[in-house]
Amino acid sequence: MKKNNIFYQINLLLIAVATILMASCKTEKPLSVAEPVKDITGSWQVIRATRNGTDLTSIIDFTKFRVNFKAGAYNLENKLPFLVDADGQYSLDDPKYPFKITFTATGGTPVATPFTYPIVNGKRQLTITFSPGCPNNSYVYVLQKTN
Amino acid sequence: MRSYLHIKGKRLWKCCALISIAIILACCGEIITGVDQPATATVGSVVPITVHINIPTVGNGGPDYLIFGFLVPKGWKAAQNTTITYNGPLGSGTMNLIPAGTVAKNGGGLDWPAYMKKTFQIGGNLIDDMEWVAYQSDKAYPHSDGNALSGDLNIKIKMGADGNNTLVKLGYVITDTGNGFTSDSNGTYYSEKVTDCFELTGGTGDLVDFCNPQLTTINPPKSLDNDIITLTFDGTVVDTKLIQGNPTETYLCATAYTSDGKTISVCEQTDKTKMVQTTSNSKKYQITFWPKSFFGTTGTQTITKIEYFITDKTGATKVGYGNTDAPFVYTFKCS
Repeated sequence: MKKNNIFYQINLLLIAVATILMASCKTEKPLSVAEPVKDITGSWQVIRATRNGTDLTSIIDFTKFRVNFKAGAYNLENKLPFLVDADGQYSLDDPKYPFKITFTATGGTPVATPFTYPIVNGKRQLTITFSPGCPNNSYVYVLQKTN
Repeated sequence: MRSYLHIKGKRLWKCCALISIAIILACCGEIITGVDQPATATVGSVVPITVHINIPTVGNGGPDYLIFGFLVPKGWKAAQNTTITYNGPLGSGTMNLIPAGTVAKNGGGLDWPAYMKKTFQIGGNLIDDMEWVAYQSDKAYPHSDGNALSGDLNIKIKMGADGNNTLVKLGYVITDTGNGFTSDSNGTYYSEKVTDCFELTGGTGDLVDFCNPQLTTINPPKSLDNDIITLTFDGTVVDTKLIQGNPTETYLCATAYTSDGKTISVCEQTDKTKMVQTTSNSKKYQITFWPKSFFGTTGTQTITKIEYFITDKTGATKVGYGNTDAPFVYTFKCS
């Protein structure tokens, strides 16, 4: 009789544990995270540059060259070969997932180029590929915000 | 009739026969046995070139397509200006351009032209403005029963699409789609042949010399004034008066000719024109600059060509084209 009682108590305990375990499960509702709009506003400088794969960073002075983006407009400081040679407007093909940036120099035609926008060492970088001279000569500039 | 060949002993005969068979078996890849190519031609002429090939085989394999690579200056636009046919005991047909991006066998993901460039570089030429143009036979051939396939590739190329007089070493390479540029215990499955310096004359452009070391070179070889260019002075080519004393730096003295008929001269011995020795005692000096900024042109001006000398720190000692008093000339153009 005593044995039966113990079984009864164990059964009760098991049912209680099972109920608690089941009660603890509930459907999780994932929070919807909105992809942030990519904001490139600011002043950018070249931290790495190549011409046809040859590193130019240490043999051309890129330290003073700046590309400043602000409210849909850009301007260039201490010019070097770039997609455009005059100040003007810029736009991204998609504000959240941009793959292409278009520069339109004032009075000029729009020039678009694919670009990447990775985070390296906690800082955004902007990688732009272009050919300012002969079409076979390809330049890659990696830009980083100055501040 | 009496034979003049006397080999004493059956054993010796057998031994020789065995060695011969072993040699034949050891060779199983494609071989370029010769190239018939003229030494000179004129710009715009159609030049016939014949590449003799031999393909010894071992056992049965394939069928594989024949791959042929042709090393030429980029400016010749050989892909558009060349036709290639082949003929041999197994028939005749055409060699077709391999579409760009076609992955090469054993090429590690590269397409054929890139695989050729990686394997054979630019065939000993000195200016990296050359390309490998890759072709494939229209029909495949089997490797069977040790049969040797021999034949000719008949190339017809319209020379010098860029109009430049040229000195260049042309290159030829063959392999097949089953092996690529590999070797194994059966032998080597490819063959490369680079010919002596070929001369193209009668053009209107500058002489482009891929064969001989130049006192100065400009990289990229083809550029505009809105490119960043690197000018190298190689003091090891000839003994110039500038290099006596082994200076650590030399200077650029240049004149730009602009599209609006003006000339701009930059001839000073400052940091702006300094050419730094690439490594100590290398006798090679380099300067990298953006011509638009170097000469300070206005937005509407374009530089068409530059004439330049290399000078010492005082500016008194100058070296020009071919170690003479005439300036080096570089024309800005893309073709």
